[in-house]
Parts: sequence; C-alpha cells; structure tokens
Amino acid sequence: MSGEFGGNDGFYSSSDSYEDEPPLLEELGINFDHITQKTLAVLNPFKAAEHDMMQDTDLAGPLVFCLAFGGSLMLCGKLQFGYIYGIGVVGCMAMYFLLNMMSLTGVSVGCVVSVLGYCLLPMVILSSSAVLLSLKGMIGIVLTVLAVVWCSFSSSKLFVSALSMENQQPLVAYPCGLVYGVFALLTVF
Amino acid sequence: MADRGQSWPTQQDESAIIDLGDVNDRDDGSDYETDMSRGPTDGSGKGSLEEDVRKRLTDNVTQMVWNAGTQQAKRAWSLYGNIDILRPYFNVEPHEVRTRLLQSFLPRMPSSEKQRAYRELYGPLMVVFTLIALLLFQMKAAEHKVEEGTLMGTAFGVCFTYWWGTAALMWFLSYVCNAHITSIQLLSLLGYGLAGHCVVILLGTLIHTSHDHLFFYLLWAVFGGLSTLKMVGVILSRTHGKSQRLILSCTIAAIHLLFLLYLHFAYHQIVEDLSRVLDSDPVVKQPEVVNNVRTVSKGEI
Repeated sequence: MSGEFGGNDGFYSSSDSYEDEPPLLEELGINFDHITQKTLAVLNPFKAAEHDMMQDTDLAGPLVFCLAFGGSLMLCGKLQFGYIYGIGVVGCMAMYFLLNMMSLTGVSVGCVVSVLGYCLLPMVILSSSAVLLSLKGMIGIVLTVLAVVWCSFSSSKLFVSALSMENQQPLVAYPCGLVYGVFALLTVF
Repeated sequence: MADRGQSWPTQQDESAIIDLGDVNDRDDGSDYETDMSRGPTDGSGKGSLEEDVRKRLTDNVTQMVWNAGTQQAKRAWSLYGNIDILRPYFNVEPHEVRTRLLQSFLPRMPSSEKQRAYRELYGPLMVVFTLIALLLFQMKAAEHKVEEGTLMGTAFGVCFTYWWGTAALMWFLSYVCNAHITSIQLLSLLGYGLAGHCVVILLGTLIHTSHDHLFFYLLWAVFGGLSTLKMVGVILSRTHGKSQRLILSCTIAAIHLLFLLYLHFAYHQIVEDLSRVLDSDPVVKQPEVVNNVRTVSKGEI
C-alpha cells in the first residue's frame, strides 16, 4: 500500500516534468499566430497563400467566426444559430465529397471545415453592416454580391493552394460561392 | 417403482442425511413425476451426445454462413460502394464545363451520326445545386412557409428527386427501347438540361409581372424548349425505330417541361399573389367608391 502512494515522487516524478508540460493553449491546439495568419490570408484574397498553411487544421477560428456571425444576425433580430449549423454541416459535407472527387491527394474533413469557417469572415462583416443599413436596397445587394465573391475567392484560393489544383480554381470557387450565397440569403432575408 | 422402493432403505442406510425433497418425491406414487425426474439410465448418455453434436453442428453452420455472407457484403461494398469509381466523372476543365453549358441550349438536328453525350457529373451537379439555391432565393423572397420540413430540405428533395428519378425512368425506357445511352450519360444530359430551368427561375424571380403569365410562358418556351430539343436530339440520334424514338422523346420532353411548370406554379405563383394583395388596396376600389358617390348625388337631386 505504502509503495503505491510513496511520497512526492509517486505523483510528481520530478519538479522539472511539471515545468516541461506544454501550455494549455498549445495542448488544446489553439495557436494565435496561425489564426492571425489565416485571418489575414482571408482578408487579403489577392495575396498568395502558402501551401502548408492549411495543413494545421484548427477549428477555434471557424468556431469564433460562426458565433460572431450568429451574434451579428441576432443583433438584427434573427436567431438563426440552428440554420448556420445546418447549412454549415451540409455545405462542408458537399465540399468534402466534391474535393475528394476532384483532387488527386484527397482532403480531410478538418481541412474543409477549417477553410470554409475562416472564409466566413467577410460574411460576418456583411451581417454586422446589416445592423446599420438595410441589405434589400441597391447598396445592400452590391455589398452582398461583393461579400459572396470575396468569400468564394478566398476559400478557393486556400483550397487550390492546399490541394495543388491551380488550373481548377473556378471549378472550386463556384460551389463555395453557392454555399456562401445561402449564408447571404440568411443575412439578407 | 419396485426398484426405487428397494433402494430407499439402502440409501437410508448409506447416509444419515435425509433429503426431504427426495422423501417427498419418493412418497408420491405418481409415475409421471418419477419418470420425468429420472430417465432410463442406459439411454441418457446417447441422447445428450446427439444433442451436443446437433448443437455444435448448428453453431458451425451458422458461423460459416455468417462469415460467407460478411465476405460477400465486403466484396460488394468495395466494388460498388467505393466512391472512387466516380472520380473520372469529376475530371473536367473549366472551359469544358462552360462549353457544355452553352451547348445545352443549342440543339442539333438528329442525323445518322450519334450526337455526343458526355459522361460527366461535375457540371450537372453544379447545375442542380444552382437550381436549389435559386429555389431557396425564390422561397425566401416570397416568404414561402413550409409546414413540415425546411425550405432547404424541400428544395433538395424536389431537385434531386427529379434528377435521379427522371434519369432512372429514362434509363429503364432506354433499356426497353434499346437506345444506346448509359445511365451516366442520362444523368449528365438531364443535369445540363436543368440549366434552362435555372435561367427561367432566375429571370422570373428578378422580374415580376403581376396578373400575367405571358412573360413566364415566353421564357418557358424559349429556354425550356431549347434545352428539351437538345436532349431529344441526343436521344433520337442514339435510338432506332420510330415508335421507340417517339416514346423516349415524348417522355423526356413532357417530364422536362412539366417540371418547369411545377416549379413556377408551386413557388413563384405565391410571389405574384402576395404582390397582388399588397398592391391592390386603394387604387382598385376607388372606381366603385366614385360610382357610389355619383349614384347618391343623383338620387338626392
């Protein structure tokens, strides 16, 4: 009995191993530098994306952006967290199937969810602007179209850089545009 | 019984412990109970051996059947359930998709030469998704409420049921009429044919014409007709025999055109009704009010 609970050495093998433990954020896989890099890559769609940027798939950023999207819609009087979740799941499954059919290397679900989630940022900006102005007018329609094009361009850029499909970027951009178009319908109507 | 009666004092002599259960059983003169409790001593081993063998045989056969069935199922799944068999149908270039989309509106006269039917699923799948998105747009704009299910579920169900259901029906008819066209070619043909529907739905949603369906019927005839003629031309070039050609061409034309009518009257009509109700209040009723005032004033005079 005493051997099983013998002294401090039983619980803490040494004081060094406790200090050698990685920080909590690193254990959880939340890397703020990577999140910042990916966010800047989305905000500047004309900048070339690095090939291995999306290899580190994290869901912290997409989760924050989805919650921000739902929160900004809530400020407009629309409680649509369920629709965001449903459309997100269906869109991710469709893109996962399509990209696995089109690419030679295949793609993981985490990568698809991560890219689509990060590229939702322009839609968050659009829904935030809906708090101040109506999106059913001419300005709103122009802003909506711009946001959808921005999202689809950014997401297709990240996908083709991760999967080496440069000559097929329009073919990847179009289904992304459809997914973000449905999100835009949630925002406008 | 006589034997048991003789064994009773012998057992009594051998052990000092009396089993009251045995005592009660032994005292009961019922042959049934005693016969059931103790069978014939010379046949009991053989009976249990047969049962054991039968049980083991059953277990082994069951296991063999289960293993064989599992192997067959795994083989069938690896052959047909592997989605990698669809990979060649998504290997396209952007300019090819654009060309095929435009060609879906350009019918060619059927001739002795077979018209090309593409084996591709990317373009048709995108057209179907576009139609779903346009239906959602139309339903959102019309504030169309679905009592059971969701708007997205309704749109998905309608579009995919039409695409796959019509392809299955046409495949069956093609098999019966001996047409040289495969299921993938039919899926591709029907999918690209829905591009006409997308154009009509989009224009019909963006341009509202109240009280009048003429604009819609014009679009229906032009875009729906062109895509229908394209599909009919491809099928006619791959079918021999007048009655077979008639069956296939009439079926695909009817289903294709009626589907567009259904989409219009199921969803877009609601927009028209709403706009008519919202726009009609004071302007329409004014002539009646004016007439009533004139009648009253004449009556007074």
